[in-house]
Amino acid sequence: MATLYIDNKPYEVKAGKNLLETCLGLGLDLPYFCWHPSLGSVGACRQCAIKVFKDETDTRGRIVMACMEPVADKQRISIAHPDAVEFRANVIESLMTNHPHDCAVCDEGGSCHLQDMTVMSGHNYRRFRYNKRTFQNQDLGPFINHEMNRCITCYRCVRFYRDYAGGRDLNAFASRSNVYFGREEDGPLESEFSGNLAEICPTGVFTDKTLKEHYTRKWDLTMAPSVCQHCSLGCNTIAGERYGELRMIANRYNGEVNGYFLCDRGRFGYEFTNSDLRIRQPFISKFPVTKQQVLAEVATDIKKGKVIGIGSPRASLQSNFALKQLVGADRFFHGVSDNDHNIADLIVKILKEGPIRVASMHDVQQADAVLILGEDLTNTAPMLALAVRQAVKQQPMKKLAKANIPAWHDAAAKELLQDEKGPLFIASINTTKLDDVATATYHAAPDDIARFGFAIASCLDRSVPSVSNLPGELQSLAQRIADALSNAERPVIISGASSQTQSVIRAAANVAWALHKKNKNTGLAYTLAECNSMGLALMGGHRLNSAFDAVMNGHADTVIVMENDLYRHGKAADVDAFLNKAKKVIVFDHIVHRTVEKAHVVLPAGAFSESDGIVVNNEGRAQRYFQVYECHEPIQESWRWIVDISKFENNVGMGWEHFEGLTRTIAEAEPLLRDINRVSPPASYRIAGQKIPREPHRYSGRTAMLANINVSEPKPPVDPDSPLSYTMEGYKGLPPSSAIPFFWTPGWNSVQSVNKYQEEIGGSLKGGDPGIRLIEPNLKSTLSYFTELPEPFVPMKDHLWTVPLFHIFGSEELSVLGDAVAKRAPQHYIMINALDAAEQKLSENQELAFDVEGQLYRLPVKISTTLPKGLAGLPYGLPGLPNVELPAWLIYKK
Amino acid sequence: MGRKLLLKDINVPGIKSFEVYRKQGGYASVEKALKTMSPDAVVEEVKKSGLRGRGGAGFPTGMKWSFIDKKSEKPRYLICNADESEPGTFKDRFLMEYIPHALIEGMIVSSFALGAKTSYIYMRGEFRWIFPILEKAIEEARAAGFLGKNILGSGYDLELYVHSGAGAYICGEETAQIESLEGKRGNPRNKPPFPAIVGLYGCPTVVNNVESIAAVPHILNMGGDEYAKIGIGKSTGTKLISASGHINKPGVYEIELGLPVEEFLNSDEYCGGVWKGRKLKAVIPGGSSVPILPADLFLKNAKGEARLMSYESLADGGFASGSMLGSGGFIVMDETACIVRNLWTFARFYHHESCGQCSPCREGTGWMEKVLHRIEHGHGHMHDIDLLVDVAKKIEGNTICPLGDAAAWPVASAIRHFREEFEYHIKYPEKVMNPKHFEIEPFRSEKNLVMA
Ligand SMILES: Cc1cc2nc3c(=O)[nH]c(=O)nc-3n(C[C@H](O)[C@H](O)[C@H](O)COP(=O)(O)O)c2cc1C
Ligand code: SF4
Ligand code: SF4
Ligand code: SF4
Ligand code: FES
Repeated sequence: MATLYIDNKPYEVKAGKNLLETCLGLGLDLPYFCWHPSLGSVGACRQCAIKVFKDETDTRGRIVMACMEPVADKQRISIAHPDAVEFRANVIESLMTNHPHDCAVCDEGGSCHLQDMTVMSGHNYRRFRYNKRTFQNQDLGPFINHEMNRCITCYRCVRFYRDYAGGRDLNAFASRSNVYFGREEDGPLESEFSGNLAEICPTGVFTDKTLKEHYTRKWDLTMAPSVCQHCSLGCNTIAGERYGELRMIANRYNGEVNGYFLCDRGRFGYEFTNSDLRIRQPFISKFPVTKQQVLAEVATDIKKGKVIGIGSPRASLQSNFALKQLVGADRFFHGVSDNDHNIADLIVKILKEGPIRVASMHDVQQADAVLILGEDLTNTAPMLALAVRQAVKQQPMKKLAKANIPAWHDAAAKELLQDEKGPLFIASINTTKLDDVATATYHAAPDDIARFGFAIASCLDRSVPSVSNLPGELQSLAQRIADALSNAERPVIISGASSQTQSVIRAAANVAWALHKKNKNTGLAYTLAECNSMGLALMGGHRLNSAFDAVMNGHADTVIVMENDLYRHGKAADVDAFLNKAKKVIVFDHIVHRTVEKAHVVLPAGAFSESDGIVVNNEGRAQRYFQVYECHEPIQESWRWIVDISKFENNVGMGWEHFEGLTRTIAEAEPLLRDINRVSPPASYRIAGQKIPREPHRYSGRTAMLANINVSEPKPPVDPDSPLSYTMEGYKGLPPSSAIPFFWTPGWNSVQSVNKYQEEIGGSLKGGDPGIRLIEPNLKSTLSYFTELPEPFVPMKDHLWTVPLFHIFGSEELSVLGDAVAKRAPQHYIMINALDAAEQKLSENQELAFDVEGQLYRLPVKISTTLPKGLAGLPYGLPGLPNVELPAWLIYKK
Repeated sequence: MGRKLLLKDINVPGIKSFEVYRKQGGYASVEKALKTMSPDAVVEEVKKSGLRGRGGAGFPTGMKWSFIDKKSEKPRYLICNADESEPGTFKDRFLMEYIPHALIEGMIVSSFALGAKTSYIYMRGEFRWIFPILEKAIEEARAAGFLGKNILGSGYDLELYVHSGAGAYICGEETAQIESLEGKRGNPRNKPPFPAIVGLYGCPTVVNNVESIAAVPHILNMGGDEYAKIGIGKSTGTKLISASGHINKPGVYEIELGLPVEEFLNSDEYCGGVWKGRKLKAVIPGGSSVPILPADLFLKNAKGEARLMSYESLADGGFASGSMLGSGGFIVMDETACIVRNLWTFARFYHHESCGQCSPCREGTGWMEKVLHRIEHGHGHMHDIDLLVDVAKKIEGNTICPLGDAAAWPVASAIRHFREEFEYHIKYPEKVMNPKHFEIEPFRSEKNLVMA
């Protein structure tokens, strides 16, 4: 700790941080541009100038950039000194010489850091009488809009895009007041994290193009805290609505999970909620019916039929549990393939019974050595890939202290460390985007990856069964990896469900456990398939094939499928047979898919934005998403349909009515979910007797927006499920960290206001980062190593071992239904190795007919030199591409 | 005749070639240093010599060398700054073009002193034609055993590379130059850390001007103490001056520091006086970035003492009435010159060359250029003059690198000393329509008219 005098007032602050973050952390206002908590300081914009004094007697002081100076004990600084104030106003004045003064038509206007800083600095009179420089804008693809005239050359965009996220196609061009931030030529930004530019850029240069499609001022949105639904990581988001449409997803800071960022799938995938494919009313036999009719129908079906329920890894705990309760635990089935089911169970077992605490994304960022087994993170768990990109900086960063360079001094750190990278090893099926920062990579069939993992574990601990006949160089690579992991302070092992191979998951556990014996700081993280795969696994239920059997064998005849397209989880022929055999198929969902098309009864469920629910991410963190706006009647959450159905059927209901009662029931019934009560404040929660408003107090137009229908303003809906109101009235201060609908503090209208919500800058939110971890390790674990070593992969003549290849844009069911993400999805293809292609005399894009597990395909060939010989890669989950359980053998059809 | 060191042999036929250069005593310092001296001893001699950096800032070279991080296990680098792009400065080009071996010899002994095994000459991209000259010189030196492995059997290895800039003045700033050598945008770095600790590729690095490096062999040959006797006070040794403008004999001259400015301007050995018998109006004594001085303050300081060509004497009076020796770009203006036009030209240059990193410089240089353009073309307002002063003041001292200062000082000094001329442009727009306005009728102060 140090005592810092700011304008003669003493403060106890942390030593070693820079003065800017220190002042901001104390809640003081000091304008800045080029600094960002996750990017560090470069001292370029000169906006954060303050005065530093030698001692009490020094009255002149000297101007320094607060972001470049470390806190020193007994230091005296001034933010308010007239020289500093004038300096900062001058910087803004100079920035404004080339900035268009047209906030009124700028997408950023009103939520703009530049505006805030301009007001804060006091500059308000223009002395510049000349033409401003202008630029040509670029088409950067479906996600990001480009408006270069607004640029103030703070370099944040390229520092984020290139240095932080590893992108290459955005750059700074030219010099002087003509620096251009863009691509060499028009074209979609290649980085999977490009959407963050909209928040990183302090001006309106980079903005959300999907928001622009149905533009609304950000403060005119009704917003609620939400959780991303597009992979298992559960990034925290803010979802904003206007006119009954979801219009924006923005980052919601969570220090343990996603920090300041989101991936593009998470940010732009929301468009599916507005899609034409939305189910907006109940149907019976494809005919629209009323709510009463459908309730009567389903109630009768349930009473008469032998009912089973199939849940979903993309539905909330609440909906899954409600279904389980409705049909009974023995008649509740997980709607995932048995392989996925087994994998999820295995992961839960490893994490619960093993000795290692699951690594959060923040932990991964801090790791100083990383081993990835079998995952292409950029495409399966994108934000984890971003975390790994930060982890490779950790080892080299240790040199900074020796050179007396503080870690936040990004400029000096880069000069000293250059391109040095810490240990990252990736064993994956094919090349991954992270390979460019990897120390070494190994591309192989899943079983070989597992064997490799076993070999590493065995190098770490001889009691792990060793792998015989591993090629020499692989054995020495395994040793090298074992050494690097052993030498690390905070090593992390990452694996996951995407190779769809249990042995890979076991191998990762072996490595982590062997390492844990030497180093208790070892971390382990698994990614899963969907946003609530983990929650579903924790809840328990039966396997999908048993559901199929139950119907096929006549033990059941009525099937309720909840928020699930079974065709994504089972083989088409099996699902066809199952659905055809069932007497009654009842589907709850928000979107039309093949299962919905086969349903007798369809009930319109709320999408996440219209629902309250809890999902559990890959870390075992239960997180709540809040309803952003009331569903259009008769859409409602699946769990609310269920309570309605049960009331209709027996007049008793389920024993709970609203979200809270349901959540309490789950906590009581499900031992592993016992703590979910604590995820969010109760509906009765009030601050100073007030609710938390979903709308900023600047929200406009509410008396007018529906005046074309009725001039008297409708009464705002009441939310029985949360302490959030649907209005702009309510408590104006900081809400509890799990219930932040938007970030705003006086004078800080942009997302940068998040500074004021944090304990310390870049740390956890005040009151703790949201989410409750449900999985804690068993420190007394006596679990012994897995010994099931798979056989090495041997290519088979005229066959190819087909593995799934994942695509951030395309593989996930919901996001790809939105226009923007769909535009970035790949065409169908089958990838094979160049040697196999030569053998079969196949050329690029030539059509190949083949059969996998009885499923016929005819796809253009993509030739790869990195996919191992003997394998084929089938893109996972692309719309229109039939699903088949992989890995499996492909047979050429002539 | 003043003493000549660097240009002593400039007129010897064939001095560009290794053979002739060697015959004239070239590379003796390499033999001396590598065979008889320790690297520290070389540094010591340079310290004793009092040599000050010839790139503009005048920082003592020996002291700079002693800052290099000796504890680091990383390789060390010497970079010769041959990016010479400042308007009015062309001495390094002259030296490299006509006596290339002087630089190569200097690079070898300087690298030896610093323990650098790889050194670079970062050359302004526009000096295309000098590349082959230097590369040939390097080849010749290598063939003669002065470069490469185990030089002269001393066990010392050195590789020397010439690297081309791509046309940016800012890459003459030492840290921008390092970035550029690393293959990045030439944006100057924040200091600290200084290059001596964290320089090229994160390693300890020294950047020196061509002329500084070329002076080192002479220091070793004659001894630091002896070198220090040349010159005056803390301005030791000889200095190359690039003389340009309205003089009879523009060119590069080697002077002993301490030469009276009047002698340099008027004697036939040097500039040969103001041309066409015209009156001297102003001089920029150290390259475009140093303050301009009106004739009277140039010849004598505010106390009435004759000025000398030395770091101290030219700076006498500080910003109020002095200037700087800078890189020795000596620009002379006779009474037909227009201060505003000249300043506008400089402003255009600095705006064009700003790297665009810090806000005050990036935006301020452009603003000043625009204001000056208007004033010079007769569209200015009286308040524009104070605006210029203000904008310049906001840039000065507030930026990452000294380009900001370099852009601000000329503006501040020109207005300080020639304010009336700016006012004239605003008051009589019709008179300044013609770009050659003061050639037609030199500017006369109205104050003096009234007083006379
Ligand atoms: C904008 C700018 C341009 C510069 N250009 C040059 C140059 O062309 N040549 C040079 O030697 N020094 C130049 N310098 C000075 C260098 O940064 C550095 O101080 C110098 O090379 C050190 O060498 P010295 O100590 O031998 O003088 C420049 C400085 C600035 C700020
Ligand atoms: S585009 Fe935005 S982030 Fe990039 S430099 Fe300009 S203002 Fe800064
Ligand atoms: S990483 Fe996953 S959870 Fe996070 S934003 Fe992307 S898709 Fe959503
Ligand atoms: S002062 Fe000018 S040239 Fe120097 S770093 Fe700043 S913007 Fe670049
Ligand atoms: S924020 Fe400190 S200089 Fe830009």
